Amino acid sequence: MQNIGIEQISLAVGFILLLLGIWGMISQKNILKIIVSFTIFETGINVILVAIGYIRNKTAPILDSPELQTDTAEKIVDPLPQALVLTSIVIGLGVTALLLVYALKMYKQKKTLLINDYKDTKW
Amino acid sequence: MLRNSLLILLILGLAAIMYNLYAEFTPKEKLGFVAEHYANNGKDEVGAANLVTAVVVTYRGLDTLGEVSILFLTAAIIGFFLKTKSSNNHALPKVKRYSEILGTGAKILVPIIVLLGTYVFINGHLTPGGGFQGGAIIASAFVLMLIALPRPAINHRVLSIIESLSGVSFVIIGLLGIVLAGGFLDNQIIGLGTFGTILSAGTVPIIYILVGLKVGTELTGIIRNLKEIQNEE
Amino acid sequence: MVNPIYIIAVFLGIAFSIGLLRKNTETFAGILSLLTLGFASIVSAQWFYSFVTADIETFQIFTTAFKPPFSINLMMGKDEALFTLMINAIGLFGGLYMFDKLKKAGKNSFIALLMLIMGLNVVVMTRDLFNLFVFLEISSIAVAGLVILTQTTKSISAGFKYMIATGIIAGILLIGIAFIYSYTGTLNIDFILVQNLEATKGISIAVFFIMIAIVLELKPFPANGWGLDVYSSAQSGVGALLSSAYATASIYVLMKLLPLAPENLQFFIATIGIITFVFSNLMALKQDNPKRMLGYSSVAQIGLLTAVIGLSSVIGSYTYFIVISILISHFLAKAGLFWISGIIKQDSIKNWSILRTNKILLVLFGIFIFSLAGLPPFPSFFGKWELVMQLAETKNFIWIFAILIGSFFEIVFMFRWLGYAIKLDMPNNEKIKVKLHQLIPLLFFAATTFIAGYYISSEHKYASLINYLPLAVALGFAFIEFLPAFIKNTLAIAAMAAYYYFNYESYTDIQGVFAAIFIIGGILTLIAGYAYKGKRQGFYPFALMMFAGLIGLVEATTTLEFFFAWELMTIGSYFLILRGKKSIKHALSYMLFSMGGAYLILAGFGMAAIGKSDISLNILSNVELYAPWIFGLLAIGFMTKTASIGLHIWLPGAHAEAEADVSPMVSAILLKAGVFGLIMLFLAMGEQFIGNISFAYILSWVAVITALMGNLMAAFQEDAKKLLAYSSIGALGYVLFGLSLMSHLGWLTAVSFSVTHFMFKALLFLAIGGVVWRVKTKDMYKMGGLIKKMPFSFISVLIGIIVLAGVPPLTGFAGKWLFFQAVVEKQWFLQGAILFFSGIITFLYCFRLIHTIFLGQPKDEHRNIKEAPFWILVPQYLILLVIMLFSMLPNSLLKPIGEMLLPYFPNGAITWDGQMATTALGYWNGKIVMFIVIGIFAVVLAWLLFMNRKAKKVKQFNIGYAAERPFLPETTHFAYNFFAPYQKAVGFLVAPGITNFWQRVDEGVHSVSDKFTKIYNGNGQSYLIHIVAFILVIYLISFGGF
Repeated sequence: MQNIGIEQISLAVGFILLLLGIWGMISQKNILKIIVSFTIFETGINVILVAIGYIRNKTAPILDSPELQTDTAEKIVDPLPQALVLTSIVIGLGVTALLLVYALKMYKQKKTLLINDYKDTKW
Repeated sequence: MLRNSLLILLILGLAAIMYNLYAEFTPKEKLGFVAEHYANNGKDEVGAANLVTAVVVTYRGLDTLGEVSILFLTAAIIGFFLKTKSSNNHALPKVKRYSEILGTGAKILVPIIVLLGTYVFINGHLTPGGGFQGGAIIASAFVLMLIALPRPAINHRVLSIIESLSGVSFVIIGLLGIVLAGGFLDNQIIGLGTFGTILSAGTVPIIYILVGLKVGTELTGIIRNLKEIQNEE
Repeated sequence: MVNPIYIIAVFLGIAFSIGLLRKNTETFAGILSLLTLGFASIVSAQWFYSFVTADIETFQIFTTAFKPPFSINLMMGKDEALFTLMINAIGLFGGLYMFDKLKKAGKNSFIALLMLIMGLNVVVMTRDLFNLFVFLEISSIAVAGLVILTQTTKSISAGFKYMIATGIIAGILLIGIAFIYSYTGTLNIDFILVQNLEATKGISIAVFFIMIAIVLELKPFPANGWGLDVYSSAQSGVGALLSSAYATASIYVLMKLLPLAPENLQFFIATIGIITFVFSNLMALKQDNPKRMLGYSSVAQIGLLTAVIGLSSVIGSYTYFIVISILISHFLAKAGLFWISGIIKQDSIKNWSILRTNKILLVLFGIFIFSLAGLPPFPSFFGKWELVMQLAETKNFIWIFAILIGSFFEIVFMFRWLGYAIKLDMPNNEKIKVKLHQLIPLLFFAATTFIAGYYISSEHKYASLINYLPLAVALGFAFIEFLPAFIKNTLAIAAMAAYYYFNYESYTDIQGVFAAIFIIGGILTLIAGYAYKGKRQGFYPFALMMFAGLIGLVEATTTLEFFFAWELMTIGSYFLILRGKKSIKHALSYMLFSMGGAYLILAGFGMAAIGKSDISLNILSNVELYAPWIFGLLAIGFMTKTASIGLHIWLPGAHAEAEADVSPMVSAILLKAGVFGLIMLFLAMGEQFIGNISFAYILSWVAVITALMGNLMAAFQEDAKKLLAYSSIGALGYVLFGLSLMSHLGWLTAVSFSVTHFMFKALLFLAIGGVVWRVKTKDMYKMGGLIKKMPFSFISVLIGIIVLAGVPPLTGFAGKWLFFQAVVEKQWFLQGAILFFSGIITFLYCFRLIHTIFLGQPKDEHRNIKEAPFWILVPQYLILLVIMLFSMLPNSLLKPIGEMLLPYFPNGAITWDGQMATTALGYWNGKIVMFIVIGIFAVVLAWLLFMNRKAKKVKQFNIGYAAERPFLPETTHFAYNFFAPYQKAVGFLVAPGITNFWQRVDEGVHSVSDKFTKIYNGNGQSYLIHIVAFILVIYLISFGGF
């Protein structure tokens, strides 16, 4: 294998974060910790998205200097994943906010944050 | 313990799948054909120096509209989620002791932060940043106010009017695109202007301003709702 | 045409504007939302209409000025139009239904509704992967919001579980999308598809992630606890949205993205789907909470659709038809059922009997249950039919088995529920009140179910040939339910008579015989209906539906028509049986055996059509493959209706508990449908062999045992109607045996005995029904000495049992005579001996019937009893006339039947000379026998009168002469446990082994169901583990390792 580039490192980091997040979600009993794990999971995905769009030795897709405005395709990284990441972050934010409000409401109902205590509907 | 080892097995299994994805991934040498199109034609088609913005607001404008909707929806749900029980509770929030230093600092910082946020979303088509980033920055100013000041002067009604109006305007600009230009959300309703200046990229800056306002007010609204519920305790 | 982008724009514009409204403007916000949904529905409907009528081209919707793949595009084709129409319609009507709840929760809840429907619209129309992800997220967040419309601990925790589960699923989807982009350079679905993705591991995994996420959105077993909890804890209106709108869109996503998946993954998706279908229906069996049951059922239905879509490369061009017809049924019915459950507000299906307080709701409930269960004339009937046909054509028999077993479970819980609603005692005197805004959606959806059924069938090559006239007439009676019974009775008789008059010439041969039994028999039994006062609601539509089915059987020329008619007949008779007292259990078991049989028939028809270009019934006569299988499936299917031993346990209860005129309908007439089926089958397929053993030989043993057991059990009954019911089982054993002989004489007996059995069984059931009507009990030991009170009924019963027992001179004897001739001819002496023995048992119960009821001491409480109602006697005496005629002139019955059979069995026919019949073994002259017997009878009577002229009449209470002591408790009545000595001798034979067997099957299935539901332990974290494990397992299976 040739030298490992930053995109591979960040891809690996993304996957590790993602797995850590899933691990947290399936092993932690505290609802708040589950939500935190969820955000770690989300972050992992976002890092993966960014890593996928990266191309070595290229610059950000912001054409603020004249030399970038010719043969642009040769000089910049992929702008599209960055746009996707933006959307993904915002969605993650919305979901996280909602989850936190749920946690708050659940706590108000039963005064506990253990997920095991919320088994009212089953079978 | 059995349970935990099973979970570890599960995670290891997932990790093995992910490793395959990782190992198969070969770093890209050049852009894909869609990205290449953006790189080569974005300047002429959209006129935004920040290509990410061009993609976010124009090429993938519908996604952005969706994003805005998600935030709006989340805020709306949190609104009625928290409201339904507390609507009969009109007690004023208990005034806790606030740090004088924090309060004063906040009063100084808030306008500066708002200014920064505004700068970020107004220049979203030129420099890194944009409506979401700017909006988030503005919201952080209000969060600071909520934390630092005993009775922050944030009018819920004004917030929701700004939020809704900017949303409606976004949709109307989108619709104008069908009437006046090439399609829904097309930015060329007005001229593209001079590349690289504030007044360029057609409606992109306008949309980003609207998005900035909307995101800022929505995030503020969410935090405010959470704060209120906390005060009830 | 309105550009569909306006749907999205208007939705968003209105949703954002609602934020502008001040407080206390909820009503305005609500009306605005409904108008928006209405607008969207109209736009979709307009597109759909144009696609159907004008065949216009698919419309591409571009956003911005740039073409795809550079910018996001949407598409409006025929499918998109239909799916968005469905989604918008459920949004509109669901919103209307929930209007007050939403209003109460505040104006923001309308935003959630609009956003949900808007998101789903885009999900259906978009051609961009990431855009799909964004709007799917909008929809699922909106669902999470709607779940907490009423905030309870249950709904909040269910919402949390839902959010976190869909969060993981969305994440998996996003990883897949990201890597697909990285490999293909585009996010546009169409551009991805044309690239012919290489099968590198990376691409495969990316595709796998996308597909598994979509499948998880469809809530596959067992990774669907989060979805089920939402179904059971959210408001019913939200359940309807989730089940109808969300699932519909998800199904479309699967259809849209399936081409991405390689063939083996498609197969795994189908497998997941079918497993979900079977297991979710299995688990629904144990549910008591209607909403959770509907949740399981929703998951199951979606599983079935997943399976169909996954198999689309196998099913081919029919996939679309099947998916649409099953989906539309599910969509309309599930929404309707959720809505009704929201109005009933009962957490246990056992309390659903209060549904009866509102007749309209009850009818709607029935319609939705039938539509969901895939019964005619609703869309999914045709879908399931075609599905089985196509799977059979491609020889995927295991799939057929799985689909039918799953459907069977579905029938169990659906009809148990319906039975409870119709028959169970009401928990309290509460009355159901329906608000208009809740009723309108229900009515609209119910009406649409019929329209959709008609539309779907008109799209189908063969379904369009079905004769809907009889069914339409039957349904027409539902609209004149307000009329008194005698008017409806007259109309019903007139309708049947007219139908027969205009059609009888078209019925030939054996068809003609059965058409006569079905229609003329029907008219005769309907005459008894005049005895009923009042409106007799719910009787005529179903009675006529049953007759419509029977007529359809006779008229059927294709297997589809036959099956359609078979199911129709089952539905009608189910309701007739359900009308009886204590009928819940019996009606359900009738339904289960009938549907089980129907599914076997369906499978048989499917296999018979392999390699054939059409589905005419004639294909049965030149089956090339699997002939013994087809024969076996169809024969067992038909035998569920003839109640052959092993499949008989539904009959006694069902027939005995039925009303006075329903018993003869279901016993004398309906059972013949099975006989007709068997005859048709034998005629078409001839003798079939498993190895060296002929099916006919096996059948002969089944028949013999049926006859013996039926008669034995009849002899030990205390209940008069049960006695007759068991006797029917025995009699049908005779018919079956006649058929199994496969000879001219055998068949002659079988067919003529079918006619005779109709006559005497109708006669007896009517007569006993009339007696029961008066004495208000069916237990024979509670009766006695009724001869003087009910002389006309006595004569009927007397003649009836003479025919039944096959004693000369009446027509039953002719049957018996022929019968033993046929046995001797075939040389099946052992079977013949057993039949002879069971014939003797016939005497036992015949004697008991007439003796216990009409002879002996009258009971004190029956002192003032009157003769049976006039209108119940009328058909009896009409039948008596015919019996006399056939007995005097046996060739009027036997000769034409014999001639009909000549083409099939040219050898061994009877030769006729006047009324003299000659066979290879002897001769018999009906007229002379009649005269001889009358002569002997007259002589004996004269002698008795002469000898007993000194006999003295005594009063009943003249103890010295009475045969028993009056006024003892019933249990010491001499007729109680009448045949105790025989019971000691042969009672072990009738130990309820078979009933126990089926009971154990039932309990076993239910306990398995119980075990499986335990995986849904209510812990959100366990559900997450299920999801992760599900992904891992499916990955390992489809990739065969890591």
